[in-house]
Amino acid sequence: MNKGMKKIFLIVSICFASHFCIAQFNTTLVVNPNPMGSLLNWGIKDLTYIISSSAGAGGKALIKTTLKTTDGTIAATTNLARARVIAINPATGNLILYAADVIPLESISFNGKFKTSMDRSGKLPAGGYQLCVQLVAPATFQPLSEERCRTFNIAAFQLPIPIMPANETVLDIEKAKTTISFRWTPVAPRPAEMLTYRVTVFEVLVNQTPMQALRSNQPLLSKDIIGTTQYIWQPQLGLTMCSSCGENTGGDNKIKKDSSNIPKPDMDPDIDAYAFIWTIQTLDSRGTPFGDGNINSDGISEPNVFFIDRRPIEMRKSGEPSRVSNLNSARKLKPGTQLIFPPINKN
Amino acid sequence: MGLPLTIKGIEMISAKLFFITILVVIFSTNILAQETETKKKEFSISGTAGVNYEYYGLSRKPTGWTGFTSRKPWNQVRFNFTPTMQFGENFSLPINFNFAMKPTNFVGPYSGIKKQSFGQFITNPMNNFGLNPKYKWAELQLGTQYLNYSELSTGDIGVFGVGVDLRPSTYFFKFFTGLSQQGINYFNGPPTIYGAYKKKNWMFSLGKAREGKYEMALNFVKAKDDTNSVVTRPLTIKPQEGFTMSFAGKAVFKGGFYVHAEGAQSFYTKNLLLPEDTSRQSFKPFIKANTSTVKDYAADFAVGRKSRNFDIGAKLKYIGAGFQTPGYPFMLPDRVDYTLNTRFNAWKDSTGNYKMNVVARVGQRVNNVSNTTLKAKQFIGNLNWFTQFNEHWNLNVSYNNFGFETPSGINPYGIKNVSNDFGVNPSYTWSNDKVIHLASFNYNYSKYNERDVITGITTSNNTHTALLTYVPTFLTKNISPDFSLMYFINSVPGFKLTLVTFSCGAGMQAMKKKMNLRSQLQYNYSKTNSFKNNNNLVASLTCDWRLSKKISWNNFISSNQFKYGNEIIPNYASYFETNFRTGFQYRFGK
Repeated sequence: MNKGMKKIFLIVSICFASHFCIAQFNTTLVVNPNPMGSLLNWGIKDLTYIISSSAGAGGKALIKTTLKTTDGTIAATTNLARARVIAINPATGNLILYAADVIPLESISFNGKFKTSMDRSGKLPAGGYQLCVQLVAPATFQPLSEERCRTFNIAAFQLPIPIMPANETVLDIEKAKTTISFRWTPVAPRPAEMLTYRVTVFEVLVNQTPMQALRSNQPLLSKDIIGTTQYIWQPQLGLTMCSSCGENTGGDNKIKKDSSNIPKPDMDPDIDAYAFIWTIQTLDSRGTPFGDGNINSDGISEPNVFFIDRRPIEMRKSGEPSRVSNLNSARKLKPGTQLIFPPINKN
Repeated sequence: MGLPLTIKGIEMISAKLFFITILVVIFSTNILAQETETKKKEFSISGTAGVNYEYYGLSRKPTGWTGFTSRKPWNQVRFNFTPTMQFGENFSLPINFNFAMKPTNFVGPYSGIKKQSFGQFITNPMNNFGLNPKYKWAELQLGTQYLNYSELSTGDIGVFGVGVDLRPSTYFFKFFTGLSQQGINYFNGPPTIYGAYKKKNWMFSLGKAREGKYEMALNFVKAKDDTNSVVTRPLTIKPQEGFTMSFAGKAVFKGGFYVHAEGAQSFYTKNLLLPEDTSRQSFKPFIKANTSTVKDYAADFAVGRKSRNFDIGAKLKYIGAGFQTPGYPFMLPDRVDYTLNTRFNAWKDSTGNYKMNVVARVGQRVNNVSNTTLKAKQFIGNLNWFTQFNEHWNLNVSYNNFGFETPSGINPYGIKNVSNDFGVNPSYTWSNDKVIHLASFNYNYSKYNERDVITGITTSNNTHTALLTYVPTFLTKNISPDFSLMYFINSVPGFKLTLVTFSCGAGMQAMKKKMNLRSQLQYNYSKTNSFKNNNNLVASLTCDWRLSKKISWNNFISSNQFKYGNEIIPNYASYFETNFRTGFQYRFGK
């Protein structure tokens, strides 16, 4: 009986002690159910971990994080030997931590295909995950709080692709001075939040490359579109046909003619076309740029260049029709790039 | 790669070299100008210099309504000085100075900036200060340069610095280093300045080329942000470092056959503030990996044949999910593109001229390649078919299609957007002794289907455009008018936009053909659903006057009056835009 009582007493003591230890810190974990794949870009809205000490106890702790897939495969765990020690001071109130503290890339070890993906792109592969976080003691790794787990789904979002006008398309002035239709692909896959697509159009001025125009000019159009991927623009720019197109070239079919091959503005009487560059900037529901770890973090898609042919119609009709553009981006068009419409070959 | 040089050191060397060269150029130009009389054949100059002023005005009614915002700076002055001096046969000096007085940056690191330091003014992408003195095969590159090494290394970014392009025999060696952006402090605003870290760039290329035969090159590109270059750090962007190396080759064979290929590998550190990580692959001494460094590949390949009457080509491009290069900051990663395109002439007439020209392309882009379940496919097809039946009739037919589709499910359904555009454009020309008439009719039908991923319902967006153009060319009169009438209707369930535009213009010459005048008047009627219609009148006038053989004075003035019906609140709001540009251009040389 005594032995039995002792055992019971011991078990109760261990349970009490372990409960006391675990309950040393109360924690709350909040994870965005649809965060970006790029862990480096996780911010305040993606992960918050709140620590409050029970009974005013303070101390030091490590954060042990485990990332699993929905089928239980461990994708990553904290290397506790490299984890940063955090100090919890009850006098300063709740301690609020974010992704950079809870999943610091310098102390998380990824496994298998997850490591491959992180090394290649810095992003987790798309799919369902469970993130579990627990405080442990620095030396013994003994639990200091209950493990908190949250599930989330990673979708590898891709920014829109400008489709129409396609890159290097040439539009006729008669139509373009009234309307120009813009179309683009939506962000894919579709995120849970409502996105805003900002259509921007910039004129390419004299001696500018299209990319220079994009990075330095005030846009002629900056229109926010919600819920669709098309916008019909009425430019109202006073676009005029050129007065002396083709005079100096000996041919009627060049759209540009000086040695620099840079599109020129309508200030210059020699030019044959207006040049524009357009793109889409994607904004999330809070109005901040949407993106998943791209270089600029500005939600701006790869732009397209288009031209408005301002030669008189009889000159345009005498040559090859406007060529269609290709899949490549506006970067193809830069000084040195020819944009010449050869006439139909005459043997 | 210039890595031993510090950023500040290189910046100082670049600036000093740049301004010393300017002084040398100005000095030598003066001397040469004096010597020109005696050595006319040894010196020539071409190019232009000019200044232009642009005014923009906007007034809105009722007062306080902000439904339409300004589209240009109120006042702007732009300068250009782009002569190319040729000293004898072997030495040339192209100068490229283009700059504006007021920053108008909207996108990129300088967006929102109003007051610039001298360094920011020099490196602002709206300004160019470049010199490229060249002696035989050796070119010195100074100041702002937009260098295009290859499609996967660098080409989009302007860098202010110093470098060389040496081409002895069939070999070439290129090196350039400088700043692509200055440090800009984050400022909450308004207006908000997002800020940027100072970015230093290095680029290097070594290769062998024979014009029209072959070219192969090994390219290296590196860019690194200076983490100490700002006092208040940007909120949305981290300091970065990127290094890309590529091998590119192309060859042209007999019969017009060509092949082009490039393979590239990039190392990109997304946050320089994170600690070094020895478990990740570095490429020392060019880049040391830290916990945010990623490494990936890209490749492109093209093969085809070009000839006078028949072109055919195929192109394939792969960009890995983590491939990022500092030279193309907007490049979309994680994709594969493949396209097949052709162009041919057909149907000879009795004189041997071809009457028909066809340009066609078909291709597909696969996005999210690294994610097997999220791959999105985008199909693109274009056809343009032009036929000149006889001296009176010609016909152009075009068809464009693109489709974008992600894997399908039920709630959410997969994205599916499909666009089809069909256009037909016959033209008829007839003439007599006094007038050549041209009448052209253009009809375009566009159908754009978008599927709602929640309901699965597909919405059809239909657009019809009809355009009639008439251009009489008077053989005995000094006036060339043109007239056009356009009808446009766009409809989706619950929305209908109708537009009617009438436009007329006239061009003429005056002042003994030294002055070219062209005026244009355009009236737009637009109506949305059952709302009262909007009215819009656009008028413009250009006047280009050649004051002398070398100096021209170019003017443009336009006005745009738009008055809404009752489709927006406040009802019957209106705006009036004016735009005036005037500028002088001086043409160097004969």
